[in-house]
Amino acid sequence: MISGSPQILFFLTSLIFGSVIFMHLSKRNSTIIFFYLIQSLIVSGLLLDLSIEKASFFLILTATITLVVKAIIAPYFFRRLIHRHHLNFSVSTYLNGPLTLVVLALLTAFSYSHFFKPLCILAIENEKALLIAVAMIFNSLFLIINRKGVLSQMIGILSLENAIVTFAYIAGLEAGPALQLGILFDILVWVIIASVFASMLFKQFGSLDVNEMKNLKEE
Amino acid sequence: MLLLLIIIIPLASSALSLLIKKKNLKALGIIATLGSFSELLITFIIGMYVVEYGVYSFTSYLSVDSLGLILMAILAISNFSASWYSGSYLKAEMEKEIIGFTRMRQYFILLHLFIFAMFFAIITTNPIIMWISIEATTLSTAFLISFYNKPASMEAAWKYLIINSVGLLLGFFGTLLFLYPAMASGNYELANWQTLMSCASSFDPFIAKIAFIFILIGYGTKVGLVPMHTWLPDAHSKAPAPISALFSGVLLNVAFLAVLRFKSVIDISIGKYFSQELFIFFGVLSIVIAAFIIFIQKNYKRLLAYHSIEHMGIITLGFGFGGIASFAALLHLIYHSLAKSALFLLAGNIILKYSSTKIEKVSGMIKTLPVTSVLFFIGFLALAGIPPFGIFITEFTILSTGFYINPVIVIIVLLSLVLVVAGIIKHVSEMIFGEPAEGLPVGEAGINTVFPIVIIVAILIFISFFIPAEMQSLLRSATLNY
Repeated sequence: MISGSPQILFFLTSLIFGSVIFMHLSKRNSTIIFFYLIQSLIVSGLLLDLSIEKASFFLILTATITLVVKAIIAPYFFRRLIHRHHLNFSVSTYLNGPLTLVVLALLTAFSYSHFFKPLCILAIENEKALLIAVAMIFNSLFLIINRKGVLSQMIGILSLENAIVTFAYIAGLEAGPALQLGILFDILVWVIIASVFASMLFKQFGSLDVNEMKNLKEE
Repeated sequence: MLLLLIIIIPLASSALSLLIKKKNLKALGIIATLGSFSELLITFIIGMYVVEYGVYSFTSYLSVDSLGLILMAILAISNFSASWYSGSYLKAEMEKEIIGFTRMRQYFILLHLFIFAMFFAIITTNPIIMWISIEATTLSTAFLISFYNKPASMEAAWKYLIINSVGLLLGFFGTLLFLYPAMASGNYELANWQTLMSCASSFDPFIAKIAFIFILIGYGTKVGLVPMHTWLPDAHSKAPAPISALFSGVLLNVAFLAVLRFKSVIDISIGKYFSQELFIFFGVLSIVIAAFIIFIQKNYKRLLAYHSIEHMGIITLGFGFGGIASFAALLHLIYHSLAKSALFLLAGNIILKYSSTKIEKVSGMIKTLPVTSVLFFIGFLALAGIPPFGIFITEFTILSTGFYINPVIVIIVLLSLVLVVAGIIKHVSEMIFGEPAEGLPVGEAGINTVFPIVIIVAILIFISFFIPAEMQSLLRSATLNY
């Protein structure tokens, strides 16, 4: 279905890629969560499409649980965090807007370079989508590094996970349903623990800006 | 069946600990000690099977080979000592009003979950389940690092969570790429290590290289290899002493096991040269960077943590050189795990006495903590590679093998090791000798804070001088592919 149509797959992957770019440019935390939600909906949709194509009830169940965890539970925890601690605006970035875009462009160009081109044998008919997924991986990593906010770092990690799942889907490397459930369980527990931690950090430091965390010393 | 038991026992211990109420500290300690002792016994029984038949399996999903058994044994021994020690250590902290009963119960619940995750990671045959288990160790230990709820420990825990999560996600990406040949031939859920190795020859060389780089960077973050090590000194120094012992003595090895498993696959696929170069690079970098920081270190827990980075670097280097150096590296891993576990537990005794982790605040240990200081000195001598301890032989073997491959690297490593020894002698003698602060009470915190450590040190000394034939055969069998 979707996997059999390179144009649709490329379009959807471009949307997910676009969501990562817009996450970089967003100033409001709720906007970042919105783009994460878009990403998660598309990724869950791809997995659901695959499960319908394979006509497996277990796969459909797994895809549905993926949708619930990524598109409902995770954003819920993040919104709760924002609400509780009035974190409307994201903290600043290490690089300013224009420089951020330059780095994103360089990372995307790197993904399309000869270094990663040989990866295309994993999915020759979806070569463009595959390389966009690689670019997403690097751009999500950059999101974690560039942002000074704890919430942005959390979403960056989940975005990285989405990017890897997208790559796996395009390359036909997605794990079996039992393993997918195990991974999902891990992600769910991660979201809960990270959210609890973020609250604890806010209570301790009065902020979710990593610049405020200067207590670790070599002594 | 025994393999099922070994993962059920820590889960059951965790559940039982959750039920303990009314400040019943003794019950928490007893559950931990009995549980860990059972795990040790089961490991011993499994060990007898593996020595006899080469492997012990329960279904196709759980299996222990020689390499897995060695790590299981290290885990079981370290866990037994750490669990036994934890009861008295935390009780002493409760008496000092550093923590309350709720915190103590949380500690034991999470400790057992941590142990469960590590056992599962070792005995599973599926790379993705191994990834899930190692990720579970991150999740179960994050709250243990922030245990004391201080700003620095919170920060250390957050840094640990983020860096390890990113690292493990990159490792996950590498794992998926490694599964490509097996999936291409129709294997999904049953893709175990054997399947990967049998499909390795059909692995595209470029994808194999990319996959292994991601594996090494990803799981290497968990191992603490430079430059992915930045979380390690903070996490190991802020966590309670028994947890630090398990981190340095066991967790780093479990992550390294993942790297080794993938190494055996890629070596079949594209030959040993690629992984060898990477191992040598990361190994040397870790040794050199750690050596400099050890020399100028001012905090003894951070000193031990950087020391772990240095030793994981030596082990990585040994496996990079291959051949007899791999055998020595695996033996080095055993010695390091035992010695480092002992040293971190001893660091716990020092903290209880001196209430500080700064080296300048600790002096005259030989008078205030006579048994601890002797064991501390022995532990550091062992880790510094001073003869007649086993680490001297393993380092000598690794470096002499490496001399034929790249003498320049060996010279750089030798100079770094000299720096490490100088640093250790400087710091340890500052702590052990001299005059203690006035009014500091003399004597250990209790037999339960000393005896568990004596057991580890006794095993360390024993195997430094005599390696039983069964252990030799296990080591040989475990390093056959490397």
